[in-house]
Amino acid sequence: MKTSRGFLVLSFTFVLAAATLLASAAIAQDTTTSSSGKSEQWIHVRVESKEDRGETVRVNVPVEMAAKVIPAINKNNLHDGKVRIDSMHTGDVDLRVILDAVRSSRDGEYVTVQNRENDVRVAKSAGYLYIHVTDKSEGKKEAAKDEKTGSKAGAGHGSKVDIKVPMKVVDALFSAGKDELDIVAALKALSGHGDTELVTVKDSENTVRIWVDSKNVAD
Amino acid sequence: MLILAKAALGLGATMAMGGLYVFHEGVIRVDVDEHRSGGSHVHFWVPATIVATGMHFMPKDRLNHATQEMRPFLPALREIAKELEKYPNVELVDVADARDHVRVAMVDGKLRIDAVSGDGDVVHVSVPARVLRDVADELEEKAPGV
Repeated sequence: MKTSRGFLVLSFTFVLAAATLLASAAIAQDTTTSSSGKSEQWIHVRVESKEDRGETVRVNVPVEMAAKVIPAINKNNLHDGKVRIDSMHTGDVDLRVILDAVRSSRDGEYVTVQNRENDVRVAKSAGYLYIHVTDKSEGKKEAAKDEKTGSKAGAGHGSKVDIKVPMKVVDALFSAGKDELDIVAALKALSGHGDTELVTVKDSENTVRIWVDSKNVAD
Repeated sequence: MLILAKAALGLGATMAMGGLYVFHEGVIRVDVDEHRSGGSHVHFWVPATIVATGMHFMPKDRLNHATQEMRPFLPALREIAKELEKYPNVELVDVADARDHVRVAMVDGKLRIDAVSGDGDVVHVSVPARVLRDVADELEEKAPGV
């Protein structure tokens, strides 16, 4: 009887130990999650199509995850988290030199192009690089098409691109060697930054929005 | 009588521990429903441990072939799986239009893929993130130099 009781006590202790281990593992996992979730930055991409089927694409990726996964992808121009660009020096324009000039200059509007087809504006303000492009040519084509078909949907045609990138991210992006963009360095710089609206593209058919914030779900 | 009780207790404890081990990595769940005449309906639950263990018993030539095919993607797969484990409940991708809906999310530590088409076809796949990492580790072990 004594032996059987001892065996039962041993079994009970064993089961209790296993349960305690499992519970502590679960608590540890929860703690890791909540502590990592505090300062976690997320990249969100949202694409909304205004076409008949009304497609919506939402992507949410932790910046830290992207920074760790990208170096593991070595394909085509992407190697070790860096993208090789052959056209960094396009014709007579050296992008790197221009960016160096912008970086070291005071805040202000650097490029303003206004013509029938496009409005382009490049500016630097409060540590951000702003690029605004409005393509009016597409709007005119669409409006002409609408006139022919008799549609009144012409209002608001034309595509509009707004890009707002922290200068620190731009610096990190161009911190790699010549003709290379350091995506991982840019992502790390981005994760250290607060909530930022990076890209907005609007045209008659689609709206694209890319932004960074600390929420793990899109708006 | 006492011996019988001891044997039953031992067997029960072994079965409980065995069950705990088999299910400690969770369950892989696949549900496919084609809502049309002659459409297939597939539903199965498999303990995730079986995948990792099963790879040890897989014929070498087949495993080598799979490893060769997967070689360029293994480091990325391993990193993704490792990172996914840190985010047990998040929505990663959601694509929807008037007819179809595809959703990729982490739910309770499992990578869950749900696809619903306008035709009524439904696919749900649920795989514990840890299994993905185990598979990547196992394949990487068989493919030195990755």
